[in-house]
Amino acid sequence: MTKKPIPIGDLIKRADLQLTPWTGHAGLSKEISNAEINRPGLALAGFTERFTNNRLQILGETELTYLLSLAIEDRRRTVEHILALDVPCMIITKGMAPPAELMEAGERFDTAILGSTLTTDEFSHSLIEYLEPYFAPSTAVHGALVDVYGIGLLFTGRSGIGKSETALDLVERGHRLVADDVVTVYRLRRGVVIGTGNELMQHHMEIRGVGLIDISSIFGIRGIRVRKRIEVVVELEEWQDQAKYDRTGLEEETTTLLDVELPFVRIPIVPGKNLTVIAEVVALNHSLKLVGVNSAEELNQRLVDVMNKKKSAKYDREDYE
Amino acid sequence: MLQQTITILNKSGLHMRPAEQLVHLASQYQAEITLIKDDLQINGKSIMGILMLAAEHGSALTIKTDGTDEQEALQALVDLFEHHLGEQDE
Repeated sequence: MTKKPIPIGDLIKRADLQLTPWTGHAGLSKEISNAEINRPGLALAGFTERFTNNRLQILGETELTYLLSLAIEDRRRTVEHILALDVPCMIITKGMAPPAELMEAGERFDTAILGSTLTTDEFSHSLIEYLEPYFAPSTAVHGALVDVYGIGLLFTGRSGIGKSETALDLVERGHRLVADDVVTVYRLRRGVVIGTGNELMQHHMEIRGVGLIDISSIFGIRGIRVRKRIEVVVELEEWQDQAKYDRTGLEEETTTLLDVELPFVRIPIVPGKNLTVIAEVVALNHSLKLVGVNSAEELNQRLVDVMNKKKSAKYDREDYE
Repeated sequence: MLQQTITILNKSGLHMRPAEQLVHLASQYQAEITLIKDDLQINGKSIMGILMLAAEHGSALTIKTDGTDEQEALQALVDLFEHHLGEQDE
């Protein structure tokens, strides 16, 4: 899914960025379509080759002090040179006032000059926190996402296989539902995939035979969570006699979601099997691996050690001199 | 794979009752059914998905069907939309 660009006017509405325009309505309808920011130090010095003009431009104390050190005519020429390159907007941090030449140029080139009371660091972090998830590659996955002991389990499988019922049972046992049926997934830069629900449907769930239920009303705040990193994909499927299910846990299957590799577990469904407990164990086993304990590997190592010992004992006994 | 774009004709849009009609009809077919509105793409056999579209009167919806009975499924769904999703307006 490609996201709509964000008008500069919408940035001002975000309280956490503490932005106010210095140039009235100029440039507020310009848009940004990426989550990158730029501090135009070199461009101010006159080097505009490879200048990333499509990014938000941030002027911190250093850049502003440099501008103010220039003679008025040079300052005017410098800011006009940059604004003529069609930047989305200029943001001045730390509550500093822009030089008059910059404001004039902003109005002339219809580019907003905004001020924020935050420091450059604080501002960049807040901005990236907002823009990065927004512009991150995203997709919608048919499944249910539940936080089980702090591990994000994404249940997939065909319609009617029991994803919602498994999620409901997990919530009953004190785990937290993130989204059911359609999970919106986006990828952060660090190769982390985050799942969240739909704003309209929130924490509703469909249980066949009962209809739509609202998990947040039934179980309250303890039963829900807004977003969660997806850590293991659990596919539910009908038992197939010929399918090769993992019997040892030595082979770790993976699947990719938005190009991120995730552990993948296939669980066959048979009557009488308690899926909820299995799901809890999948989460706990993943937690164990995160702290460096791989039960299957360890058991196998013990087995190998025991066999080696037997072999060497036998060798000793049989080697007479 | 077949696809067709239709317009929501009933006055109150794709609310819960027509959505239920739609999901019942879609579930009768083996074909995979996908509904697309703007940048949202959902499974046509899922009531939650259909509600998520929040498809208002006059909005355009693309129906995609894929499978052995895709032809019949598409025809039946288009018919349902053309008949105002079983709703009696005015």
